[in-house]
Amino acid sequence: MTDPRYAEIETHRPYLLRYAVSQLRDAQLAEEAVQEALVSALESVATFGGKSTLRTWLTSILRFKVIDLQRRAVAERRTFDGGDAAAVAGDDSWLDEAFDETGHWRAPPRAWSDPESALEQRRFWEALERCLDALPPAAGRVFFKREVLGEDTDAICRSEGITPANCWVILHRARVALRACLGRHWFGEVGDGR
Amino acid sequence: MADERPATDCREASRLLSLASERSLTQPESTALRYHLDRCLMCRNFDSQLKFLHEASERLRSGK
Repeated sequence: MTDPRYAEIETHRPYLLRYAVSQLRDAQLAEEAVQEALVSALESVATFGGKSTLRTWLTSILRFKVIDLQRRAVAERRTFDGGDAAAVAGDDSWLDEAFDETGHWRAPPRAWSDPESALEQRRFWEALERCLDALPPAAGRVFFKREVLGEDTDAICRSEGITPANCWVILHRARVALRACLGRHWFGEVGDGR
Repeated sequence: MADERPATDCREASRLLSLASERSLTQPESTALRYHLDRCLMCRNFDSQLKFLHEASERLRSGK
């Protein structure tokens, strides 16, 4: 256990867990997939040649574990909860929290100073993780699949059991909420803003 | 005819800005959005922050 990459691999766990949850919609199953993937990764880390990033390599291992668990779940006729996407799309109370009765921002987006440099700071990524965690789970999954994994809307709709219109509503909500969360917790925007 | 513009508020503009990443906006949608953005600094901030979110998401995927 001397390879310095062991410790580095462990730092990717939160991302890997988010990936697994987005695919499996089940926290316990996702945990299982990540655990199995990390064990495989530690066994074969010597074969990682650095052609892709470590995270990409880990994700490709995890992807197989996820598919494996999905097959097993289907075979065992286990059902997933997580039909929550339609409910999230149907709940528009967030709009009244983000916008007033005249349709104006309650907390207007301010210009962010030097956002590019945030990307170089570890604590920014921790803040982003926290903001993603603060979303309703279905919104977090849909945003992750669309923006992070770059899946197309059709694929997302199929896996979440929602319509494209639902998907767009959820993405609108997630983007407004993430912007506000990063504005408040990273870029120093003040609470209500007015 | 007087200058009758669609009354697109920030709520609607933010919806259209998000939607624009998902499908092409119709002509009326994009006209309304442009009209609003020309007059609203806050929604222009929102627009650039959406692009930043997109960039951050891509970096999150690669872990770089």
